[in-house]
Amino acid sequence: MVQEARQLARLTQRELAERVGTSQPAIAKLEQGDANPTIDTLARCAEAAGLAVQLTLVPLPVADAVVARYKRDVDRTLLRENLRKSVHERLRSLGEWQADLHALQYAVARAQPKKVAEAQPGAEYKNREKP
Amino acid sequence: MTQLERLLTALHHANVEFIIVGGVAARAHGSSRLTDDLDVAYSRLPANLARLVQALAPFAPYLRGAPPGLPFDWSVATLRAGLNFTLTTTTGAIDLLGEITGGGQYDALVPHTISVTAFGLNLQLLDLPWLIRVKRAAGRPKDLEVIAELEALQEEID
Repeated sequence: MVQEARQLARLTQRELAERVGTSQPAIAKLEQGDANPTIDTLARCAEAAGLAVQLTLVPLPVADAVVARYKRDVDRTLLRENLRKSVHERLRSLGEWQADLHALQYAVARAQPKKVAEAQPGAEYKNREKP
Repeated sequence: MTQLERLLTALHHANVEFIIVGGVAARAHGSSRLTDDLDVAYSRLPANLARLVQALAPFAPYLRGAPPGLPFDWSVATLRAGLNFTLTTTTGAIDLLGEITGGGQYDALVPHTISVTAFGLNLQLLDLPWLIRVKRAAGRPKDLEVIAELEALQEEID
């Protein structure tokens, strides 16, 4: 944050140190993350660069760990194969998959007589009364 | 012609202003996941609502999951009274989204779209970074796997 503020103000570490009233090595330490500055110290550095520190509350990034874990299992060969196709081919294959899956669902339902009517494409609409 | 193609063609031919989002957009970007519905963000301008009603009317839109027989008037007035609609039609399921969590309404999404051609149609698609962004913003556990795949996809593209 200190480095970002300094660079935005186009100051050298020495110039920022002079404005804050500290030494250049102290600024370097802050920028390298070797220090554990107080909010007040960060605010003084920001002010010296003509900026203000704004603290906001954000949700803990719990999901990131889960996403990272899922990401390890992503089959990237499929993604690479898809990326070689055009958008048209990707969407056409989706439509074809959908049609095949609906046909399969219908076939499964046909094996269970009671559910035949419910499984027919558009049955939800066809079975209802006209409004 | 598949259901997906029929829906997209109907919307396109009626000049509906819409952006493909959700699973179909993910698929178009290269996702390997299957989805059963078409999610679109649509412009809420009155003229666009009229075009949307006209485009989908032949497919008898009805509230998805609602008991048969409920009165549902597919009209501009109905669209104006609501915002997001999950519908079933005679040619597949479609979600009409007036607003998306983390993305806002149609106008706010337009700068984050790309133009693609599929089925001979010029279509607007939410770009991959924003697709990831809105999925993250939705905060639904079921989206975490999708986010993982989309981020992997982004890494492959980069």
